[in-house]
Amino acid sequence: MNRYFGNRLAVFVFAFPALLLFTAFVIYPLFPEMMISLQNHDGFKSEGFVGLANYMDVLNSQTFWQANKNTLLVVALSIFVGLPISLMLALLMDAQTPSIRRFFKAAAVFPAVLSVTVVAQMWIAFYEPTWGLFNEILRTVGLGHLAKQWLTDKDTALISVAVALFWQYIGLNALLFYTGIKSIPKTYYEAALIDGAGYVKASIKITIPLLQDVVKYVLIISTLGSMALYAHVRIMTMGGPGDASRTIVYQMYYTAFERSEFGKGTATAMLFIIECLIISFLINRFVAREKIEI
Amino acid sequence: MSKYLKLFSTALVGTSLLAMTACATTGKDASGTATPSAATSTPQSSPNKKAKIRVMTITTDEARNNIMEKFIKPNIEAALPDVEVEFEPGGGGGDFVNKMKTYNASGDLPDVWYGDSTLAPPIMEAGNLLDLTPYVTKDHFIDKYSVPDALKAKDGKVYALSSGSDTYFTPVIYYHVDMFEKAGVQIPKTFDELVKAAQTLKSKGFVPISTPGKGGWSTTVFLFQNMVQIGDPQAMADLVTNKTDFNNPSIKAGLARVEQLAKSGALPEGVANLDYGPAKELFTSKKAAMYMMMTWELPDLAKDPTVDFFPFPAASDKYDSAKVAQFWGAPLNGYSVNAKSKNVEQAVKVAEFLAMADAKYFESTGAPVALKTGNPTGELQPLMKKFLDWYNAVPTKIASYSINAQDAKVAAEFATLGQNLLTGQYTSDQFVKDFDKTWKENTWFK
Repeated sequence: MNRYFGNRLAVFVFAFPALLLFTAFVIYPLFPEMMISLQNHDGFKSEGFVGLANYMDVLNSQTFWQANKNTLLVVALSIFVGLPISLMLALLMDAQTPSIRRFFKAAAVFPAVLSVTVVAQMWIAFYEPTWGLFNEILRTVGLGHLAKQWLTDKDTALISVAVALFWQYIGLNALLFYTGIKSIPKTYYEAALIDGAGYVKASIKITIPLLQDVVKYVLIISTLGSMALYAHVRIMTMGGPGDASRTIVYQMYYTAFERSEFGKGTATAMLFIIECLIISFLINRFVAREKIEI
Repeated sequence: MSKYLKLFSTALVGTSLLAMTACATTGKDASGTATPSAATSTPQSSPNKKAKIRVMTITTDEARNNIMEKFIKPNIEAALPDVEVEFEPGGGGGDFVNKMKTYNASGDLPDVWYGDSTLAPPIMEAGNLLDLTPYVTKDHFIDKYSVPDALKAKDGKVYALSSGSDTYFTPVIYYHVDMFEKAGVQIPKTFDELVKAAQTLKSKGFVPISTPGKGGWSTTVFLFQNMVQIGDPQAMADLVTNKTDFNNPSIKAGLARVEQLAKSGALPEGVANLDYGPAKELFTSKKAAMYMMMTWELPDLAKDPTVDFFPFPAASDKYDSAKVAQFWGAPLNGYSVNAKSKNVEQAVKVAEFLAMADAKYFESTGAPVALKTGNPTGELQPLMKKFLDWYNAVPTKIASYSINAQDAKVAAEFATLGQNLLTGQYTSDQFVKDFDKTWKENTWFK
């Protein structure tokens, strides 16, 4: 009994400073935000309490749903395209000699440590319709008919921004997968080799199942990171053309700061928080539930 | 083990609490001596102590940066010895406005800032915009303006001090004379000729017309307005005074001209995402033959002897470029002072100094100003003289739609849809349909 309470006390004591800071800087600010979302507020002053009217207006807004659709598309691309590529890169990295691996590790981290502004400007130049590298490559390889105004075409603007985002973080995710791969005992692969399994089969039957904790972690940070996509959009397209590349966080900014509707902007933020909580819950509930002992 | 763990934990909590207590604002410095907190500090500076004034200005255009580096920083200390000025770069456009909104909401506005008519009303409503009238009247600064009434807002009070150069800013079409000659293109006299000239220039491998379209900038600032007024100036004047709306056929025709420019290839590829700097660079590097821009860029562009300009060409008999032009400027444009500044009098002096620095800069470029600097007027650059000869003779000047007719919500939607128009994938009819509801909710004229 004493030991039980002793452990509980120790857990509390160790967690207390972090909990205190988390409450002060994460939980507490939600309350004033929630209050603003119930007011007609222009960012300068409140015009009065309006109940749930801001929420109703936001939910009835076509732009809000367009921004949601855009955000979910980026999330889906991140999960179904970005993560498999990261995993493949990690597997490739693991199969290289130490010197090549060192190069890949540095190359993987490099984009992630760059400022978003630098990355976004670089991709703006890459997509530039007249002299940008992308269209130049297409023209050089005889695919000039595919050259486009990537960032101002409503059909390609969002995808183009998403590619810039993936490029920045795909290497970092690969590195996370790689650290997971390194924690898998070599004896498993040796046993598989004796049983006649090749590299691909060993990757599918051993590596991927034993990486489930890392997969879960990368899935959560990639999903929430993609959902919070803002800076790339702000710099590369300003959400345009029209609302074609507007994400939910950009929509929140646009409503609050550009339209000076802070009440509706914070209502959008509150809805976004709820969405994030639901998605985090779903990932926790359905991904990698059973612990595999190594 | 459990006992040691508890002991260690208790010590850790104690240390954490101590650290937090030390980090909290206790009004004591490192030696434990009490120091006055911000809340209890005296608002006025003592005779031996300089008053600290925080100033935020636009830092994204070359003119503003020149004013700061050549006219403000080298002279402010000698001009205002009892003031210590801290300059905060404000960026420009929406970024500047958003920064100010955030500061206003958090009660952290600078003492002095460069404001405009879209930014001022909500700051005024929040009681943070100082009425400068008694200050500039008492020290006779207002007497230095050739037209003091131009500074007065709707309520007859002065809230911003400017050089008065704003009213001389108008959009024109700059062009490279040598590129026109090379392409065999004449200065267009009509809108159709402009489109045709653009097509000829494009066929010769030039970008016909450069202008910044990112965030709908040029559409908002002048393109929409001029595309309307070259067809029907009265319709534009009526829109700025809320006597008509976007269903007016002349307004729709103006929007259709923006659409036509975008679709005809007159504007650069990707113009809807083209920033201010790259758009100017397209022209100055002679990739683009024409450049639609305000005359605040004229002193800089005039350095190139191949640059000339012409006013927007007519789209109907109702318009004559010698008789109608858009003018920039509004009484709320200029240096404003925080009504809650701890050093209001010094802040007003700083605002006066900054307005004078603006005037001296624009005067040095040959641009006209309404604030008398006392300096002898130098010889005008030929291009500036040409501009003034034309602009001063224009009898009808229409106020700028972008800063005299839209509240924040309308301005944001207009910019978004204006950017859309530049893509060539969006029609003027769709613009009117999408924008109509927002325009009807406009609070600017209320």
